[in-house]
Amino acid sequence: MSTNQIHIDPYERNWMIISAILLVLFATAVSVAAFGMGIQVPAPEQRVDPRTVATDPNSPWSNPGLREIEPGKYDAYVLARAIPSWEYLPKEMTIPAGSSVSFYVTSSDVQHGFKIQDTNANFQVVPGQVSKLTIKFDKPGTYNFICTEYCGSGHGVMYGAIIVTP
Amino acid sequence: MKQYQLSTGEKKFIGSHLLVAILALAVGSLFGPLQAFEHAGWDIYPYIKPLIKSYYQGLTVHGVLNALVWTTFFIMGFLTFNVTFGLKRALRNPTLNKVGFWVMVVGVVTAAIPILANQATVLFTFYPPLKANWAFYLGLTLVVVGSWVEGWGLFATYLGWRKENPNERTPFIAFASILTALLWQICTLGVATEILTMLLPWSLGLIENVDPQLARTYFWFTGHPLVYFWLLPAYISWYAMLPKQAGNGKMFSDSLARLSFWIFLVLSTPLGFHHQYVDPGVPPVWKFIHSMLTFGVFFPSMMTAFTVVASLEHAGRKQGGKGALAWIGKLNWSDPSVAAQLLAGILFFFGGIGGLANASYNVNLVLHNTAFIPGHFHLTVATGVTLSFMGISYWLLPYLTGRKLWNPKWAVAQAWTWFVGMIIFSNSMHVLGLLGAPRRVPLGLAPYVPAEWNSRLLQVGVGGAILFVSGALYLTVMLMTALNKEKVAEEVQVPIAESMQDPALTPVWLDRWAPWIYGTLALVVIVYGPQLVDMISNIALTSPGFRVW
Amino acid sequence: MAKKDKEDDEFRPTGTIAVLAIFVVTLIAIWATIYMILVGRGGTL
Repeated sequence: MSTNQIHIDPYERNWMIISAILLVLFATAVSVAAFGMGIQVPAPEQRVDPRTVATDPNSPWSNPGLREIEPGKYDAYVLARAIPSWEYLPKEMTIPAGSSVSFYVTSSDVQHGFKIQDTNANFQVVPGQVSKLTIKFDKPGTYNFICTEYCGSGHGVMYGAIIVTP
Repeated sequence: MKQYQLSTGEKKFIGSHLLVAILALAVGSLFGPLQAFEHAGWDIYPYIKPLIKSYYQGLTVHGVLNALVWTTFFIMGFLTFNVTFGLKRALRNPTLNKVGFWVMVVGVVTAAIPILANQATVLFTFYPPLKANWAFYLGLTLVVVGSWVEGWGLFATYLGWRKENPNERTPFIAFASILTALLWQICTLGVATEILTMLLPWSLGLIENVDPQLARTYFWFTGHPLVYFWLLPAYISWYAMLPKQAGNGKMFSDSLARLSFWIFLVLSTPLGFHHQYVDPGVPPVWKFIHSMLTFGVFFPSMMTAFTVVASLEHAGRKQGGKGALAWIGKLNWSDPSVAAQLLAGILFFFGGIGGLANASYNVNLVLHNTAFIPGHFHLTVATGVTLSFMGISYWLLPYLTGRKLWNPKWAVAQAWTWFVGMIIFSNSMHVLGLLGAPRRVPLGLAPYVPAEWNSRLLQVGVGGAILFVSGALYLTVMLMTALNKEKVAEEVQVPIAESMQDPALTPVWLDRWAPWIYGTLALVVIVYGPQLVDMISNIALTSPGFRVW
Repeated sequence: MAKKDKEDDEFRPTGTIAVLAIFVVTLIAIWATIYMILVGRGGTL
């Protein structure tokens, strides 16, 4: 046997082929969801100064909340903050069923998370950055959004809600 | 055949690693069950307030001591053993290794003071702009630097051996251990940069603000290969020791074992963005590239699964095992070291599945920072790794001290209780995560917990209670072994499974370092370079520190 | 040095294939379950 040749048992060779096929299948499924069904991860949106983002009158987060862009389409500017008390501004947003909402979330202090239950909105909120994803709400109901990153002692009580009316 | 003898000094040196590791585990593990009990509605934290101020301080102690200190000290000790025993050679410059060890110890103490004083309740990920006391960052730096120095001592020993044996194949356990130490040197550059250029000067008041997104990127440059730094020592034992212990089996394929270790070296660093899939400041194209490389690094784990199971099957057949699965029963389950590592391996299969789901790009939207994540890594680092290390210590401590393992039946019970407790704990955490429960939250008090989570939260507490018993059993067995008056008759035989194929037939290119190291560095530059350059040249130092705990 | 035993030459890891087959089925089942949750929760663009 030449010492440059690697000896591979036939069973193991087959296993390696199966493993490779399996991984290619998973990669394909993920790509179909990302590029075919529009289930994407956040992209760099905008950078802000966390020290002034909540107070600068030119910053949309100085007046957080929903803006209706066109019928059934909204932009939601959400501020996550640990100071003075762990909360999102606004705490509650009400929209009619069938609405599509783009969430623009940033923080004026530490890192937070933003996860809307029963949807694929789930991202990191990093001071200095704006996280954006767009969700369409078809089913009426209350969708809690909760903080998923440790942000100090009140992390566990930090949440808000989207109310989807029929 | 008489086995190679380590000197008493070397045994003591390795033993001191074990001592620090187990002390860290003892303290850190106290808080794990407290977290689990809180989830079940039995919150003990208010009663220990004079000592530990909050759930989060307890969680910080748990994460830092268990995930960072227990692992790092055990690993450095085990690697030192593997290099000296594997090469049949004394440490070339023992002072260097000792200096490294003591720097690590000083580091742990330095970091422990602010943690216990509630001045560093930032969890083991210490994401800025949460700002800990400077001593916390300095302590962590010293632990990393100390581990580097110990690594240099191991490299020097290897190079000395290589000079004396220019044509021999590096014995597997030494080869794999050197590789693990090298992986660590490369990947810790990220966290070292994070602390030295941002967090330490910031906490000392030398700079006002930091860039949290860049800090996260540095952190996860280290954070994922850290997982392999934990895992590879367990793999070394599974490949090259466990088959021997389980029934005199041989390692199925020396070449493929080495090949998979090389792939781990090359691929485990350039994929850190898979921890940042849902970060706002990283472009999706890089996230996607890192996800594909993550699928790539799953491949050597699949190879490992094959080789390890086949080596165990070889052991089982030798013991008269028949059938497709019945041979498993013929393995030496009454040996606590075997039982612990087999059970660790079984749960690690599931840890691997969860890990693959986490790593699958947008699938992470379902899982990111949910209870699924701690559920997952309690199967990997807290079972695949930790339970294996416990299993290794069941022969390593008697080997190092010459004292008999105290009450092996208790040790077997320890392995099984860990296994059962972890199944209950981890399964419920995974399910909670899929239902939307966040991680790092005292869920017993959270205002948004729906009733459908309650039965699962109760199971988290039950699992935690069983794990608490198991942890106590482990510490008892270790302590009583260290004090055992009953000595082993002769030196404990180190379990080494020889390779089925003559290692001399292993291709030379699997024993050459330079091309693999260049390849690793090149890949890191290609898939991290452009984004890092972009982030550094557009650095936004705009975040002052906060202490909100 | 390792000797090549005759029994090693005859060793066929059939049990390993059985173990790994169970693993692959479990892997696909769990991964697909989570993937279907993802798809069910809808788009983000």
